[in-house]
Amino acid sequence: MKDIKAIIQKIDKLKPMPQVAQKVMSIAQDPQSSMSDLSEIIIYDQALTANLLRVCNSALFGVPKEVESVQQAIVYLGMDQVVDLVLMSGGAANMKDKQDGYDLGEGDLWKYSVSSALIARELAERGKVENSHLIFTAALVKDIGKVVLNQYVADSYEKINLLVSKHEFSFKEAEKAVIGIDHAELGSMVAEKWNFSKKMVDIIKFHHSPGESEKSLLETSIVHMADTLCMMMGIGVGSDGLSYRFDNDVAERLNFSERDLQEAIAGFGEKIQKVEELINAA
Amino acid sequence: MNVFHEKERNALVNLVVGVSDMKVSNDPESVLITYSLGSCIGIAVYDSVSRVGGLLHFMLPDSNLDPSKARKNPNMFADSGIPNLFKSAYKLGAKKQRMKVIVAGGSQVLDQKGFFNIGKRNYMAIRKMFWKNNVMIDYENVGGHVNRTIKLALKDGAASLKISGQGVFEI
Repeated sequence: MKDIKAIIQKIDKLKPMPQVAQKVMSIAQDPQSSMSDLSEIIIYDQALTANLLRVCNSALFGVPKEVESVQQAIVYLGMDQVVDLVLMSGGAANMKDKQDGYDLGEGDLWKYSVSSALIARELAERGKVENSHLIFTAALVKDIGKVVLNQYVADSYEKINLLVSKHEFSFKEAEKAVIGIDHAELGSMVAEKWNFSKKMVDIIKFHHSPGESEKSLLETSIVHMADTLCMMMGIGVGSDGLSYRFDNDVAERLNFSERDLQEAIAGFGEKIQKVEELINAA
Repeated sequence: MNVFHEKERNALVNLVVGVSDMKVSNDPESVLITYSLGSCIGIAVYDSVSRVGGLLHFMLPDSNLDPSKARKNPNMFADSGIPNLFKSAYKLGAKKQRMKVIVAGGSQVLDQKGFFNIGKRNYMAIRKMFWKNNVMIDYENVGGHVNRTIKLALKDGAASLKISGQGVFEI
């Protein structure tokens, strides 16, 4: 067991989520907010604006003419899409580096995170679950705990791997048994420090065990399902592989048939190259 | 001499096979590689006489799920991707009876019951097609909960399998 306090203190070494991303998040959840409320926040952040315009003009969106302003971007892509892009640029700072403990190369964790967020959004629409921005963001940052835990996993990899490969532990259970804390719990602490909503903290904490979520059972179930599909598709997956437990009640809770899930996989598979462009651009 | 070998190795070209993708080649300087197979399955084929190799990375077992997607990209599904892989290799001169066949992937998450075990279904789809068409699997590494990468060098058919977190194994 490691010194848990020392691990938790490492949270402060993360780059904080930019304020603009947090403001955009609250606008997105306010039904009264308008397009101009959103653009007002974005235009004062030059780097964000430049990045947003670059992504909008990438092949992924196929907009008919070059987008030159935030307002135009909102008109062409819609508020939801622009909010997602802003949230993505907020989450990127910590998650693009390689994570040796999890055998993830440069960009892998980011690719995994963006893919789960996009799949979660699609599943939320399919399952008619509300709060799609909350779900998108939670899926995007759910593994932030891995960034903090990475070095500890690297140091204890043999012990963790032994529990996983020989004693039927899930990777998360092995993290907890060997290090004393797992990436989901640690991720929820990051979310608390960043003043994320209680629901968001809850989704991150229970994304591997959605049945334990009291505050946001449906949203956590969506994120769990998206995470599972992402692991199955092998997008940005590392040494933890597919060694996480699947909550078999999730499909019933969300009223998904196997066909729905296969369609979601096929749908994502079809646009995977475009998604890679988005990931590289954002 | 060593320097020469090193140069030769550096000259090899990696042809990356993406998700729902397939590539065949007879260029001996090429190495076919597909990364990160979860419940998806990778099938590598190699004919040592014509030195033709191919690699398919499919996601799902059955194209009846969405025939229009299968027409657009047959490599997404086992039942449309496998014929595409073999026919493409034959076009370059490969012969079925000489082909070495390697299968890897088909993992699943823990506790995933029958309802949603795509990895297993993908594998069953291969077995069924191979049985019908008299294709023998020379090497397979399937199932479990790991993430795999396959590499196939077209010069001599040398293949390797990387299991994330466990290492690289020559096949």
